[in-house]
Amino acid sequence: MSDFVLTGTGLRKHYRSGERAIEVLRAADITVLAGESVSIRGESGSGKTTLLNLLAGLDASEGGEVAWAGASITGLSNNALAGRRARFLGMVFQAYYLIPEIDALANVLMARRMLGRVGTTERARAAALLARVGLADRAHHLPAHLSGGERQRVAIARALMNEPRVILADEPTGNLDEHTGDAVIEVLLGAGAEQGAALVLVTHNPQHAAKCGRSLRLHEGMLQG
Amino acid sequence: MPWYLYLALKQLFPSGRRIAFFTLASIGGVTLGVAVLIIVLSVMNGFGDEIRQKILETNGDVDVRSEGGIMYDQETVMAKIRGLPEVAAVAPYAQGVVMLQAGNRPSFPFIRGIDVRHEQEVVPLAKFLLIGRVDDLDDDSVFLSSELAASMAVRVGQKVDVYSPLLLERLKKDEILLPRELRVTGIFETGWNQVDSNTVICSLRLMQELYGLKSGVHGVSVRLKPGRDADEFAARLNAQFSGADRAVSWIESNRDFLFVIQLEKNMMMFIMLFIILVASFAIASSLLTAVVRKTKEIGLLGALGGKPRQVAACFCFQGFFIGVAGAVLGIGLAVLALAFRNEVTHTFARLTHSEAALLRFYQFSNLPCSYSPHDFAIITASSIIIATLAGLLPAWRAARLKSVEALRSE
Repeated sequence: MSDFVLTGTGLRKHYRSGERAIEVLRAADITVLAGESVSIRGESGSGKTTLLNLLAGLDASEGGEVAWAGASITGLSNNALAGRRARFLGMVFQAYYLIPEIDALANVLMARRMLGRVGTTERARAAALLARVGLADRAHHLPAHLSGGERQRVAIARALMNEPRVILADEPTGNLDEHTGDAVIEVLLGAGAEQGAALVLVTHNPQHAAKCGRSLRLHEGMLQG
Repeated sequence: MPWYLYLALKQLFPSGRRIAFFTLASIGGVTLGVAVLIIVLSVMNGFGDEIRQKILETNGDVDVRSEGGIMYDQETVMAKIRGLPEVAAVAPYAQGVVMLQAGNRPSFPFIRGIDVRHEQEVVPLAKFLLIGRVDDLDDDSVFLSSELAASMAVRVGQKVDVYSPLLLERLKKDEILLPRELRVTGIFETGWNQVDSNTVICSLRLMQELYGLKSGVHGVSVRLKPGRDADEFAARLNAQFSGADRAVSWIESNRDFLFVIQLEKNMMMFIMLFIILVASFAIASSLLTAVVRKTKEIGLLGALGGKPRQVAACFCFQGFFIGVAGAVLGIGLAVLALAFRNEVTHTFARLTHSEAALLRFYQFSNLPCSYSPHDFAIITASSIIIATLAGLLPAWRAARLKSVEALRSE
């Protein structure tokens, strides 16, 4: 049994653009160790988001296999994957995707609600996570009343709520200015490491990529070390 | 609370923000539909109850008639019925049609001969008399219904000529036709148009004379003690009769009329339900728009671990909650409106200068109303079901969205 918490082997994906087939991923391989941080860089349209979607089980690979903690998820139905995903993965997106009708604390708790009842312990944990990302005093603010950096930090707290084994972050600083982006990456790396979660960070920013334990580059559909 | 229920509630009633216009408009639509349905049906129930009450008051609970047409053993029949525990009172009657003439105005009213001693215990005649007293009725006098008296321009104290079918028989035998001259000693009004428009009341002896019944009567009216089932009593009575007499309850006697009242109410309910259907289309279109607007959010729910059927439930429950809120508010609005129905009716009548007409044609100054728990249950259930169904199509669309495509959508 390996220590790999996440593996993707021989992942393939193509899209059609009219008559033309564009092969985005061809036999991409990735392995992530528990608690490890891995950055993935690549040109726009090189398939970074597609790779993350395959690793998250949100999209099906046309070949190869994805395994979470050694167990293959290939071929599992959406329903079967949903609960496992909520426990195993935390996801952070470029556009934050907070639910606008509920406050920051409720957004963080939303990840836990997916697994069942939310009690005092869970509320305390959500509040602690918000405090960890520097938003203790913004817990009851609606997303519309938060800045971009604050929203992304709420999204990071939400991704950590269920104590996931892996965090998949898709260009989390893409919508932020350089200074705020740096702060968000610090929070993501710091809080993730404290929780013992592995991190797969897709980024265009070489400095952010350099802060990860290992850097990969996606080029012509394949991951290179 | 499951996350999809929580989110459905939060999307309708967001924390720290004003309720969305969509929510207000959708709940408002269902509220109005439910309120209008309850108001209309409660008023119709009120009318129905009034009519049933009038039928009961003017006829008694059960009518016992001789299969041969004329009953000669009425004292025996009455004694037998009076001995039953459910019975409050019994009174004999004879009835038919006569020709009435006052001056040069003829009319063909329905005439009922009553035994004043017993009749009062079955029909509250004194209550209906506008002019005159029950004791004024003797074998040479009649009471006229209010509209009949008005149409013949007859007042109390004036005389009217009565031609009975027996006189016509005599006419066939070339005998001289002499009408019976009777004095009008009272004018009555029951509030039931069918009786008030064309009825004469006379003594039983006079009716027996006019119709040549000798000591016979046409039937016996029975008043039951409160809360007794007239249909059941009539059936039991029929089982006891040898076959010469037949008991008919007021419900059976007026079955067609009561059916029409019920049919009118059901039709009204069916038509009014369309208001809620219209509201449901508004709910469906608003929720569909929400599904399109929240595509990325729906994608996120999938990424967070939400199952497609749970995402569908989130939108379906929004329809359900709109239905529940609309039904509760609709019932409240209807009860409030009905509490002030008379003020509203009178204000409307004053504004349209139709107060006199209202009193003349409807014979009451207050709008009747009767709440039916059965109607409330049907209206509430239908509005909630319709509103929930309105959320089905948007829910189905939301469930079909793939997270990866939803998150990628522009």
